Amino acid sequence: MVLELKNITKNFGGISALTDVSFQINEGEIFGLIGPNGAGKTTLFNVITNMFPPTSGEIKFLGDKISGLKPHKITDKGICRTFQNIRLFSQMSVLENVLVGSHCRSKSGVINSVLRTKAQRKEETNSLEAASELLELVGLSMFQDTIAENLAYGQQRRLEIARALASNPKLLLLDEPAAGMNETETESLFDLIKKVQKRGVTVLLIEHDMPFVMKLCDRITVLNFGKKLAEGTPAEIQSNQEVIEAYLGAEEDDEIA
Amino acid sequence: MLGVILNPYHLQIVSFILINIILGISIYITLSSGQLSLGNAGFMGIGAYTSALLTINFDLPIFLGIILGAVVAGVFGILIGIPALRLSGVYLAIATLGFGEVIRVIFVNWESITQGSIGLSGIPHMGRELFKTFSLTGFDPDMLGLKNNQFIYLLVVLTLLLVNILLIWFFIRQNKSRVGRAFAAIKMDEKAAESMGINITYYKVLSFTQGAILAGFAGALYAHVMAYISPADFAYHRAVDILIFSIFGGSELIWGAIFGATFMTILPEALRFISDYRYMIYGVVLIAMMAFRPQGIIDVSLLNWFKKKLKLKRGGSLGIRTKKYN
Repeated sequence: MVLELKNITKNFGGISALTDVSFQINEGEIFGLIGPNGAGKTTLFNVITNMFPPTSGEIKFLGDKISGLKPHKITDKGICRTFQNIRLFSQMSVLENVLVGSHCRSKSGVINSVLRTKAQRKEETNSLEAASELLELVGLSMFQDTIAENLAYGQQRRLEIARALASNPKLLLLDEPAAGMNETETESLFDLIKKVQKRGVTVLLIEHDMPFVMKLCDRITVLNFGKKLAEGTPAEIQSNQEVIEAYLGAEEDDEIA
Repeated sequence: MLGVILNPYHLQIVSFILINIILGISIYITLSSGQLSLGNAGFMGIGAYTSALLTINFDLPIFLGIILGAVVAGVFGILIGIPALRLSGVYLAIATLGFGEVIRVIFVNWESITQGSIGLSGIPHMGRELFKTFSLTGFDPDMLGLKNNQFIYLLVVLTLLLVNILLIWFFIRQNKSRVGRAFAAIKMDEKAAESMGINITYYKVLSFTQGAILAGFAGALYAHVMAYISPADFAYHRAVDILIFSIFGGSELIWGAIFGATFMTILPEALRFISDYRYMIYGVVLIAMMAFRPQGIIDVSLLNWFKKKLKLKRGGSLGIRTKKYN
């Protein structure tokens, strides 16, 4: 088991964004998190990465309790995320963005960096090699010197994934990776996430593109009004009456083709 | 021949430029992690007073005084930097400006030690001390055709130049490393930086403290170049001057701070012949810059343009970057 959420509740003042949410993600899975807008999906990501702590409940990652750790420590442990509204380092080059991702996998401080010690140069070379390889994986090799904000939208999303992968995560959290993508882009994203899975990375993703989710995910959890509505394989979810009523809706036949 | 060219007045201005460059870098380095600190005049004062008092009262060698001045300013930097983490943008600017004023008021009122607003005089002069050392070896500036006075100022300039080169080298290397990337990441998006595993507390305090150390260092150098300091030297106007170095020159790159400090130090001196009007022109230059080039004179695209020109001249087809990274 990679990630285990136990009775996670998150209140903002009087509003309950998440109520008693529990689920487990197995190693190597692609796990989908779906639900209507405002269901608490992104809040759940923020709670997992401890951008804000849960009101109650416990999160275990690879058997260790991680709730209460600072966000950068959680990344260090092996959970890295992307953002719903892309948050690249917009003025940096594509390559530099990925290099920042490898921050927690390197440790040269000021002195080593300024003196360019052997260890530092080796580390830098390793980071560069890893970054080039990741850019190759997401298909952005030829853009490595481009300033991130000049990339096309779909490319920016892919760069975010490369940046997150540079931290060598065991669990990758993708917040609506296909949002705003056209069909071709979505297809290549599908292949990319499959490749990521093959590298031994477990994936938890939020997505609204139902055909995409149903095709991609091994298991799915549905959130509605901060509560877990259902969990199961894509087939189970698609035939779940409650889910259809709350989320998939009457147009199910059109959407899930 | 050398004796004709070297004018003590010009040498003095060059040494001011070199000190101001250090001040410019001090604010640049804090800005590079996205923190706008206007407390650098305060840190400069701490460095200056620390070194001056230690060398006057305890006969400490100047270089030791300067190092301790920088260290003490750095300690204050950590003390201010940690609570300042909660603030950002304008709020941080105001809080640090307040800190600078507090420091100045302490210098004014702690008369038993700082002589109050009269200031400290009789601070050992860096050039003269260096000259003494040279004289011991039997060296006579006349051998270079220089007067003692010229030689003393020349020594100051050369020392400061060496210090500047070392500092610029240090920060360029730091910028191109994991540490520099962490600073830049925090500046561009703090939340994303944190999510990428960067300990933002550590790096923000680090860059704030580096700025404080540099400002303290520059202050200590200033004390031993002027041989006289008073609280007025580290007041509000100094904080603004330091800010202008970086904003005018361009805050994206270290070269911006260097250019800004150089230009803004030369300008009032070069305009001395029109006396009263020179600060008007200074103001007009600033307004024009804000209107036409708000990012500062030197920015990344200008630098890339220069690099391209240089590359064409050399006739090379491959950039260093592509060579290294592939």
